Amino acid sequence: MSNIVEAKSLTKNYGSFAALDGVDLTIPKGAISGLIGPNGAGKTTTLKALIGLCDVDGELSVAGRDPRIARHKLMEDVCFIADVGILPKWLKVSHVIDYVEGVHPRFDRKKAEKFLSTTDIPANKRIKDLSKGMVTQLHLALVMAIEVQLLVLDEPTLGLDIIYRKEFYDRLLNDFYDGNRTIIISTHQVEEIETLLSHLVFINKGKIVLDSSMSDLSDIYTEVLVDADKVAQADALQPIYVRKLLGKKSYTFESVPREQLKILGELHTPSVADLFVAKLKEEKHG
Amino acid sequence: MDKFASLQFYALLKREVLEHRNIFIGAPVVVALLLFVAATWVATQISQSDLAEGLRFVSALFDGLSPFDMAPFIMLLAIPFYLTLYVCSVIYLINTLYQDRKEMSVLFWQSMPVSNLQTVLSKIVAIVLVAPIFYVLVIFVMYLIAMVWLTILGISNDVDLVGIGYLFLAAIASLVLIYISTVVTGLWLLPSVGWLLLFSAFAKKTPLLWAGGVFILVGFLEDLIFGTQFLANWVASRTSNPDQYLIFEFQSVFERVFNYDTLFGIIVGSILIAGAVFMRRFTD
Repeated sequence: MSNIVEAKSLTKNYGSFAALDGVDLTIPKGAISGLIGPNGAGKTTTLKALIGLCDVDGELSVAGRDPRIARHKLMEDVCFIADVGILPKWLKVSHVIDYVEGVHPRFDRKKAEKFLSTTDIPANKRIKDLSKGMVTQLHLALVMAIEVQLLVLDEPTLGLDIIYRKEFYDRLLNDFYDGNRTIIISTHQVEEIETLLSHLVFINKGKIVLDSSMSDLSDIYTEVLVDADKVAQADALQPIYVRKLLGKKSYTFESVPREQLKILGELHTPSVADLFVAKLKEEKHG
Repeated sequence: MDKFASLQFYALLKREVLEHRNIFIGAPVVVALLLFVAATWVATQISQSDLAEGLRFVSALFDGLSPFDMAPFIMLLAIPFYLTLYVCSVIYLINTLYQDRKEMSVLFWQSMPVSNLQTVLSKIVAIVLVAPIFYVLVIFVMYLIAMVWLTILGISNDVDLVGIGYLFLAAIASLVLIYISTVVTGLWLLPSVGWLLLFSAFAKKTPLLWAGGVFILVGFLEDLIFGTQFLANWVASRTSNPDQYLIFEFQSVFERVFNYDTLFGIIVGSILIAGAVFMRRFTD
């Protein structure tokens, strides 16, 4: 499978602050990739770099193009949704559709209108009069109606209630994703997207700390609820993270064969959230 | 330009008009309403016979003159619109690129397959070529109402209607001259257009303060280092004479556009506009 995103040694500094510090990143075509990181980790800077909205140093190719050179050409193949605030508030819903139809060669107006007809969004309302959930639905309707290779989502469901969030991801999977298109999602709400992802990237302090397919994760990482009498044995295998859980200790191991871990206790594949904490703690403690 | 590129540019212009409808449509309509109120008040202060006498006098002025000869005088009636457009253009140019970033909608605009060059050009075309059309249309409607009123006044007071007809033709000719004047002024002031757009694209806050402050600073440094006031004098020479903003004859358009001063200004303006296009790349 070829890659839709290939980045090497991406760096971006804001004064003395390194927002991106030598980021190497590859995202395969057709993946649903999660970009996870704490606040200020460099998620938004990475996503903005991918669509040419942020000047970075290093090698970068998205859908076969360098976003820094021909952003407008790239955007024929890429769509972007940031958190709900970015649609111009003064525009009416019908004006937004007119505008996208006017400027995007791959926009299908009927598709967008069909999608909107399943919502409560009135065409003559201004964006500022819509709820946050409606704005996201509208943006999603626009994106659904554009034939693109890559969809970049930066905290797309921030501030939405659970019904809108669930509907957003359902629609994304059912109406947009076809196995060939690629989706990159940056979000704090890891649990919500965990089951959707086929690829995972962790970023912290401008550096990639994990870049793996979800199928490889279970091979590499194992969480063990260690029996009390096996703690010394578990410690000897150099876990990357240890936490207390229900009176026992939960150990997270990296690249330790499951056969070797079986004798310590109950084995699980760690959740993305647990793995995220583990990797960040590991990095913190070296 | 291929067909889709033309449609794209039309969509960009439509966006400008919708976003800045207060500047493109609201402002001239308000000026027209104020003038209408003022004219109505004046009309109520003068007796109908005196008004009819005035109308006879104006109609008589056309003896031996073509409407085109009278057009420059009627142009002067449009000066409030002209000044309004001038002020609105400054407000538009200094805010247009800045506002997108301030409200974060720049991420939406930039997520579309539209280049920064197309975006900036659409803003220039919108204010230099499209905005004057709206102003001229509003003035036309105002003249039309005035003509209907003058015609009724003329009929009820036995004033020669041919003269009123000529007056209307002169008003139409003046509208063409007003439009040409505003467009040529746009070219003449292209360095100012570029300067304002540059700081609209650059400033994180208070773009007008930046545009004015940097201009003063550059002028001050020039004076301090070289002991000259070239920049200040150059700007003063382009802005101080009202004649530079009005064209009273169709014949003078060519010489006003194709002269050393205007072409030099277009080059300087183009360089500054290129700077604005470059700065537009950054959304932070």
